[in-house]
Amino acid sequence: MKDILILLFRSKRFIVGFVLFLGILSFALIGPMLNPKNPFQMVGGLFSPPSDRFILGTDNLGRDVFTQLMYGTRTSLLIGCTAGVIATTIGVTIGSVAGYKGGIVEEVLMGITNVFITIPSIVILILLSIAIKARSAIVMGLVIGVTAWPWTARAVRAQTSSLKTREHIDIARITGFSSIEMIIYEILPYMFSYIFMAFILQFSGGILNEATLSMLGLGPFQTVSLGVMLHWSLLWEAVRTGAWWAFIPPVICLSITTFSLMSMNSGMDEVFNPRLRRS
Amino acid sequence: MRRFLVSLVSVLVITVLLGSVSFAQAPVQLPRKETLYIAGMQWGPPTTFNPMAPSPAWPTNRGQHYLIYETLFVYNLLTGKLDPLIGESFNWSVYTLTVKLRKGAKWQDGTPLTAKDVVYSLQLGKKYSLYFSSFWDFVTDVKAKDDLTVVITLNKDKPLKKRVEVFLGQIFIVPQHIWSKIDTGQKALLEYTNLEPVGSGPYKLLSYSPEQIVLQRDDNYWGIPYYGKPAPKYIVHPIFKSNDAGNLAFERGDVDFSQQFCPEIWKMWEVKKLPVGTWYKKEPYHIPASIPSLYINLHKKPLNNPLVRRALAYAINYPKIAETAMSRYSPPAKSSLIIPVGVPEKKYFSQEDVDKYGWKYDPAKAIEILEKQLKAKKGPDGIYVLPDGTRLGPFTAICPYGWTDWMTSLEVVAESARAVGIDVRTEYPDAPVWTDRRNTGNFDLLMNTPAGGYTPAHPWLRFFEVMESKGVPPIGQVAYWNFNRYSNKKASSLLDAAAKITDEKKLYTIYRELDRIFMKDIPIIPLEYRPWHFYEYNETYWTGFPNEDNPTASPLHTAQGIRIFYLIKPKD
Repeated sequence: MKDILILLFRSKRFIVGFVLFLGILSFALIGPMLNPKNPFQMVGGLFSPPSDRFILGTDNLGRDVFTQLMYGTRTSLLIGCTAGVIATTIGVTIGSVAGYKGGIVEEVLMGITNVFITIPSIVILILLSIAIKARSAIVMGLVIGVTAWPWTARAVRAQTSSLKTREHIDIARITGFSSIEMIIYEILPYMFSYIFMAFILQFSGGILNEATLSMLGLGPFQTVSLGVMLHWSLLWEAVRTGAWWAFIPPVICLSITTFSLMSMNSGMDEVFNPRLRRS
Repeated sequence: MRRFLVSLVSVLVITVLLGSVSFAQAPVQLPRKETLYIAGMQWGPPTTFNPMAPSPAWPTNRGQHYLIYETLFVYNLLTGKLDPLIGESFNWSVYTLTVKLRKGAKWQDGTPLTAKDVVYSLQLGKKYSLYFSSFWDFVTDVKAKDDLTVVITLNKDKPLKKRVEVFLGQIFIVPQHIWSKIDTGQKALLEYTNLEPVGSGPYKLLSYSPEQIVLQRDDNYWGIPYYGKPAPKYIVHPIFKSNDAGNLAFERGDVDFSQQFCPEIWKMWEVKKLPVGTWYKKEPYHIPASIPSLYINLHKKPLNNPLVRRALAYAINYPKIAETAMSRYSPPAKSSLIIPVGVPEKKYFSQEDVDKYGWKYDPAKAIEILEKQLKAKKGPDGIYVLPDGTRLGPFTAICPYGWTDWMTSLEVVAESARAVGIDVRTEYPDAPVWTDRRNTGNFDLLMNTPAGGYTPAHPWLRFFEVMESKGVPPIGQVAYWNFNRYSNKKASSLLDAAAKITDEKKLYTIYRELDRIFMKDIPIIPLEYRPWHFYEYNETYWTGFPNEDNPTASPLHTAQGIRIFYLIKPKD
């Protein structure tokens, strides 16, 4: 583990991503503790410009954009993380079972996966979001997660198919491991780095999907997220009226968050992928 | 040689294809100086120009510019009276209304427009279920006395003269010689698309597409001796995908006259120095004419308790709604069903009663009602619980998705209610869902405008739509007014009395009494004032739009607002 960390921190991309992500994380988690304002409190006027009182001005409802940004980033991270965990779990489960079992099981599972891949996930996302009445942040994460798993499943299946032909698997099989034990103890540990990278990609995809849905007005209720902030600023024509503070900060936050995750992923790829690894 | 021929043929094919594409896409170029561009009345592609259809395209829908089809009279928002259009004058005797028509009125195909056409049009509402069929609740007979005189007999059981007058300014008159061929049944009538409409108005439909509707002036318009000739030769309504696209076009001067909700419009002249204007140069910029309100379910615990409703009424931050949701286009709402400023009904408003019986934004008072009068205790989550264990919420407040000013109003309601300890949440369903829930009374809190638009019967009509329970089916069935099924016999009898009275002093007394009952029972909470239409003009190409300093016509996109087309001039 220590070796891996040392390796990881040799990658400049990983370091840049990690530092940025840490910054965003502390802004979203520690920020609200230092600035315990209610993000929903309507403290100012319609699109009040940035001032001493409101560093980033107020939004269309007169709410402090800076406070909203902290809580919004937190919600977006929560949704992204939930979506990432769910998508990765489903993807890894289906992919590894299909890859390890092979035969009809593989055919069926991969058939389902391929069907899911061919339907644009945004369509399923929109339909699911409309159907669900109580969209909390966690529910949003769930909805995004259950539509984002197919490509992880395909990649994991390919890896599993290749891993299962290795010698140590044959040996384990002789010792009488069940299929599940085989997958958990003998296959997944060899893909751990890959799974983690897939999770990071799903995490950032989840955040972007949340922003897309929220901008369409299908975001979480009774909460603020980066997408919800953008949604209100677009509805209130912040671009035309010149209220840049209402939409540029959430866009920057979204960009930094996804960039940091992508950068970490790319850094990890450099380290874990033997073909990319530099000596 | 063969290669040369192949190349030649390819070039020719491509040229022909490109040529046809560019030909197909080329829009009709209209002279800008003779064309007025309008926005905010048509969303989505036009499918029918049948004024009897449920939602025909601009300008044949109710409450839009009377440019193709006309009504007998047009309501003047500035005077509160009906001005002539096809009709010249109207007179009441006890139970009959005599309408005199303008001499020389003609249809666009040259056929004279007579009293028979008027009788035919009004009777369509009796024969079929149409947008004005309720006219026949108040009227028993309509007859043509001669070519220029129509006599309407009032229903003696419901002698509501004001209601009947409203219809004179709302019902489109259609030509009998054309419509009698279509009028073979309800379905046939409603489904007729009428793509070449023949009306009596000053404009004809020139072309339409999913992108725009174009009207061309009819230089043979019968009304020219009376009203003159409207200035624009062409009127174009581009069909925008969204509000912001329309507002951007308006800001650039590509649209001259707009009815869209345009946040912070004052920045266009104060900051960007554009030749843009609204009715007033200062707040509230528009004439308030309707009261979007919060309807409360009066049959659901604990909202059926007037004290809970009063606490909620005190909790709502009305100045914040005016400032943010209405983009300063509304003064903060008062606790009255009478609009206190701008419109003719302001003479009935009593500030004294509002101070004595009403409410205003006062969270401390809301908490006092909750704690002292209702004996409610605050739960660990900050929400009050009544002594019988009923928690104050969650109550869901709904309005249609995309109605940005309303959505924002409800956000303020929810936030200010939670701030005092009443749990209100927002939900934005699609408009048809909202309509269904409103009409069947299936809601906790719902935003809606009682008696929207403006008529000679306001504020009576507003009181009627909020407080009249006669003819309203129970919750679960479809109602067309009084959506929360408020019932008060005293209010009903006062409404009946007010409908028959013309004496201003007596009316003032009755309206005050009705308003006091309203403030006591709080069936709905007025949230803001909204203009009948947003009246916004950009004088880059056309000037002379009426405004507060030049009040030559009503700031409307309908009714007497059609005079605006006669008053404007192309900019030199």
